[in-house]
Amino acid sequence: MSDRVRLSRLVQVFAWTGLTSLGGGRTAYFYDALVMRRPWLTSHEFIQDLTIAQLLPGPSFSNLGVALGVRLAGGRGGAWGALAILVPGALILLGLTWLYFHVGFTPKTTSAMHGMGAAVVGLVFVTTGRMIRTAVRDLRALLLSAAIFLLVGPLHVNTALVIVLAVPVSLWLYRPRSGS
Amino acid sequence: MILDLARLTWTFLWLSLICVGGGLGVIPELQRQVVDRYHWVTAREFLDGYTLSQLTPGPTMLVCVFVGYHAHGLPGAALATAAMFLPTAIITAVITRHWGLLRDRPWARAAERALAPVGIGLMAAGVYTLARTGVHDWPSAALAAMAAGVMFVRRVPPVLAVVAAGFIAWLAAL
Repeated sequence: MSDRVRLSRLVQVFAWTGLTSLGGGRTAYFYDALVMRRPWLTSHEFIQDLTIAQLLPGPSFSNLGVALGVRLAGGRGGAWGALAILVPGALILLGLTWLYFHVGFTPKTTSAMHGMGAAVVGLVFVTTGRMIRTAVRDLRALLLSAAIFLLVGPLHVNTALVIVLAVPVSLWLYRPRSGS
Repeated sequence: MILDLARLTWTFLWLSLICVGGGLGVIPELQRQVVDRYHWVTAREFLDGYTLSQLTPGPTMLVCVFVGYHAHGLPGAALATAAMFLPTAIITAVITRHWGLLRDRPWARAAERALAPVGIGLMAAGVYTLARTGVHDWPSAALAAMAAGVMFVRRVPPVLAVVAAGFIAWLAAL
């Protein structure tokens, strides 16, 4: 596989995207940076990598960094991509941890944190909506993703259990058929 | 001290292996281990650490920096982080590299198509879970709607919308 993107460029974009992805639902920022703003990946490729990252054990965001890095610039892309995502955030959190245990936070800081958390919900809502439009094209996909959403979200069923049950069902629904 | 450091490393290592489908699913078990079993942080500190990790760049599971630092200072933070991210990153790299070579086989294409709805369902559930904690009253709903509007029009980098929302909330002290 030849590299799609120069390693230095990849580290730069991953580090910047990682650094500016405040709040939960970080994958949304990567979708925006690599699919919407740059022609590095198609939406379909991104969703494949996201799915693999979520199915393999480990924090899905760093797994996604590895999977996207490998796709864009091979094994070294995976290693450097993961480091570019992790190291800046880890250092910032270390600084905040130090402040938390040695100085403490004011109530105003806490409410600013809550405001940012709310904005993040709006961002991930829009991005997830875009991904649903690309990925959910037939009735099978709609029913499966809706069922998984209901089980893991509102019904609080154990995520690992839902994956173990849903993946075989989905594989059977999408099994290769001769002539198709 | 050394024994407890080894326990810290081992605990984050096996917790990383049960992180499936995003970090949120592992939170209950993580809290049981670091709060109830080993007392590395209190329940209140754990919640604050989780909120901090939500609001700093990078994966939420960087909460291991917070717990590791409070338990054993810098060595604790470094070992907990390495245990959480390194082994699973290697597994992912090996599997995705080989997956690239298999991608054109019919069953591999079928598997990719089969996995997409699973990933989308999990992601939608993640948005739901985030919304449950992040949007709890009218002001937070308004901030979320503002950010969604900005993202939809896509003229402003997402981070600006988030920082602006933080500033508004800071002024209003919600």
